[in-house]
Amino acid sequence: MKLEGYKLVFVAVGLIGVLLIATPALGDVIRLPGGEQFSELYLLGPDNMAANYPFNIVAGQNYSVYVGVGSQLGSSAYYVLYVKFGNQTDQMPNATLGTPSSLQPLYEYRFSIQDSVNWESLLNFSVSNASISGNNSQINTLQINNVTFNVDKPAVWNSNSTTFTYQLFFELWIYNVQTGSVEFNNRFVNLQLNLTRTP
Amino acid sequence: MAFGSFLYSEHYAFAQTDQTESKLQAANTAVEQAFNAVLDAEKTGANVTGTLALLNTAAGILAQAENSYRTGDSNTTAAQADSVLPIAQEVTASAQDAKQTALISNQNAVWSTIAFTVIAGFVFVLVLFLVWRRFKRSYINSLSEAKPEVNSQ
Repeated sequence: MKLEGYKLVFVAVGLIGVLLIATPALGDVIRLPGGEQFSELYLLGPDNMAANYPFNIVAGQNYSVYVGVGSQLGSSAYYVLYVKFGNQTDQMPNATLGTPSSLQPLYEYRFSIQDSVNWESLLNFSVSNASISGNNSQINTLQINNVTFNVDKPAVWNSNSTTFTYQLFFELWIYNVQTGSVEFNNRFVNLQLNLTRTP
Repeated sequence: MAFGSFLYSEHYAFAQTDQTESKLQAANTAVEQAFNAVLDAEKTGANVTGTLALLNTAAGILAQAENSYRTGDSNTTAAQADSVLPIAQEVTASAQDAKQTALISNQNAVWSTIAFTVIAGFVFVLVLFLVWRRFKRSYINSLSEAKPEVNSQ
């Protein structure tokens, strides 16, 4: 190789070396785009596994489920998790339209978590003041984590599913820093319940 | 007189509800402001794990206050909403301090990085130049030694 060729090799090595040395400084200036940002909402059974979910419920008996939220938003997020209770005719959240249920929340959790961190809580619930008469049933009181709510919720016998269908569902809402308000995050999970008998 | 008493109690109930609602609103605003402060601190690179744990304490009490409000327990709601405020204010102050500390730390880190880049870059180029000069000299010398001699005869 001629001297000019070696000179080019030295110049190339010099440029690569300078770029490598400047990498930490360039890292402060150049920001690479992050991955997909989303929140996750999940419901687990009383053994903290996706099994043994309460379904056939009896008035006066305690039941429990785990509810959890995972954040993959790239920064901390402030969530509100609403617990709502409805029957088979009540409006559920609409995932396509991204709208929450029109039912008023009964119970709520509020928490803030950092990116890639999960939040989880055990929810205990029971129904009382319930009645079944022919094809009609009624749950008057729902207790969630020792807080008692008057729900006065009727349900008609569903001959297809052979149940008195009630739904305990969870809606995830998130605080939007830009608007300064808590908005529905289009994440919800539903625990379907069947009132089988009253004491 | 009974009617008057009824009106008074009605008015009292409405006033108490309004007061409870405004306390809840104030607690909500305080927690949201605290979260904004924590997020700002986090964006500057501050470690917000401890501050976020404290914020969760305030948020948890606020949730209890909202739950109490739904059961119609105004006194508990008001007491819980009131107890949220000092915690949220502490979070805000702590997050603002963390942000300032992180900003100063970031500034120092930026200057250190710039200084490292300039000095290391200069040293690298200088060393490379010296190596190049030495290489060039030895290359020319090796060429001179390899030059065929001209026979004068």
